[in-house]
Amino acid sequence: MTTITAGIDVGTGAVKAVLMRVQDGNTEWLSRSTLRIRQRDPIELARLCFDQVLEDAKIGEKQVNYVATTGEGESVPFHTGHFYSMTTHARGAIYLDPEARAALDVGALHGRAISMDERGKVLKYKMTSQCASGSGQFLENIARYLGIAQDEIGGLSKQADNPEVVSSICAVLAETDVINMVSRGISPQNIVKGIHLSMASRLVKLLKSIDASTGVVLATGGLALDAGLVDALNEETGNMKGMSARIRAHADSPFAGALGAALWGAYRYDRLVERGEIARAA
Amino acid sequence: MTMPDTATIVARASALFEDLHFSSAREWKSAVPGRKVIGYMPIYVPREIIHAAGMLPLGIVGGGDQLEVIHGDAYYQSYICRIPRSTIELGVSGRLDFVDGMLFPSICDVIRNLSGMWKLMFPNVYSRYFDVPQNYRDDIGGNYYAQELAELRDALGELGGAPITDDALRASIAAYNENRRLVRELYDYRIAQPWQAPAAEVYLLMRAGLALPVEQHTELLRDYLAAARAVERPRRDNCRVVVTGVFCEQPPLNLIKSLELAGCYVVDDDLLLVTRWLTADVATDGDPLQNLARAFLHHSESTAAKYEPNAREKGQHLVRAVQRSKAEGVIFASPSFCDPALLDRPMLQHALSGAGIPYVSFKYAENSGQMQPIREQAGTFADSIKLWSGQ
Repeated sequence: MTTITAGIDVGTGAVKAVLMRVQDGNTEWLSRSTLRIRQRDPIELARLCFDQVLEDAKIGEKQVNYVATTGEGESVPFHTGHFYSMTTHARGAIYLDPEARAALDVGALHGRAISMDERGKVLKYKMTSQCASGSGQFLENIARYLGIAQDEIGGLSKQADNPEVVSSICAVLAETDVINMVSRGISPQNIVKGIHLSMASRLVKLLKSIDASTGVVLATGGLALDAGLVDALNEETGNMKGMSARIRAHADSPFAGALGAALWGAYRYDRLVERGEIARAA
Repeated sequence: MTMPDTATIVARASALFEDLHFSSAREWKSAVPGRKVIGYMPIYVPREIIHAAGMLPLGIVGGGDQLEVIHGDAYYQSYICRIPRSTIELGVSGRLDFVDGMLFPSICDVIRNLSGMWKLMFPNVYSRYFDVPQNYRDDIGGNYYAQELAELRDALGELGGAPITDDALRASIAAYNENRRLVRELYDYRIAQPWQAPAAEVYLLMRAGLALPVEQHTELLRDYLAAARAVERPRRDNCRVVVTGVFCEQPPLNLIKSLELAGCYVVDDDLLLVTRWLTADVATDGDPLQNLARAFLHHSESTAAKYEPNAREKGQHLVRAVQRSKAEGVIFASPSFCDPALLDRPMLQHALSGAGIPYVSFKYAENSGQMQPIREQAGTFADSIKLWSGQ
């Protein structure tokens, strides 16, 4: 049986969509799309993203058996089912890196640590508190103050020779720290690396709190492609007693939530067919 | 005449829900000189007796999330629920100044004490603590309850200026039988097709039953069922849950909406039980008070606030509700500091565990504003049912 399924991850900073074909247990990733939200309506963007993946894969909407949403996508009017972020990031991480037994989802607003088994079943979960100092939005703000582009952050961080650590407790205090550093003539490389270390410190503590101390952790979410942050995470892991986990990223890590949603959608579709309760897309 | 659509019907129910000055009941009272309104609190009073007296039963279930409690907090310590504070706020702010009587059912000590406070605060209002039997034998609890009903009947007759006749009572029982039939039909319809009757809409319709005369409410339910059946709505891949513990202080409407948004179809609940406390028609021949008493003893809902003499039967009503509604799990949502709901919860959970039924628990207050944690809890519960149940 062939199942065509879409996954739409409505994040705080961007909307991601993927289209998958699942046939006899084999999965084929047909297409993908990302749109930054930038103060636009995320639900409208979800529609645009969905249309884009359909067009790219040359698949009609009626051919899609299950549209699964995740993140803040509960209100997407054409969804068949919704799955929560920890559920989808765990499944997406296993798809991208089968060795992973934990996912570290670092998005624009939150950091989430999730441990899972080999099937993608969530075993433990914890997320950062409401303060934004461990989030991508904070990093984006600092980059803007320093006048550097987001895709330069990782490279600059890797060039640091004497990083200045900022407050890991509060985004407001951290921003004050950064202003002081600029006035003291600290280089952008060392500032950015300091921020990465500060964020990494919080995120590694999250991993430890869910007992993800060993094995492979896949970084997911929008910040997974920030090589400077991934380096900082591994440095912090090495420095923390009892932590030997290896943190990796995958080129498609930002799509982990959408991928997980699509794969769970395919699974649910098959179960609904088995039970004679096929959910019909709106 | 064109049939109203669901949006129009729900808008009417929503306006009644939001009106904390009870304009509809005030208009009903002022339409005919001499009319009287009797307020009642959760979870059950025999509204038939109020109706038979020619009076309007008006359900008072606190102030919800739109009422700022300014005076009410001064009357209670901090570690009790919110419904008595906001009910006092409704009283001292004059919002209930048209209400001629108040009934405080036997549900917990807080509501019992509120009945005494009401007598002191509003001495010109008829106030009664309405007790119910703890013994379910007809010759003991039945006789006791029939006597309670007779006292209420006499008191309301005196308040209204004319005795309540048996014929009037029988006619009122028939009117409420019809109403309960429609309520059961709506609940059964939701069990069959929960996507056609969203939980928030069903709730608003039930809330309207607390404010409207029973005949109007019956008509509203009939119209809604017809309108809901006429339009097909999108079906989501949600899990099916029973929500329990919500029988007294009401959850905010946003909480009910959040559960469905989080991926849970509510297929049964214990919200506003007064609308379906009696589970079968009450006989309309013979002694009407004995008939109401027998219905209470033998055909009434079970809930944490009702005494269950058989320990092995404790929680089985919930297991049966899950089976009857084909639910896949139970959400325990209880008001903070709700003694009946929270003290019974472990026993109910034990019964569910024995039957292999998954559950999740959280607390709320009628003015809770932050729904994200509840959405996450309900949503992950839905995920676990959809992906891992039976594995």
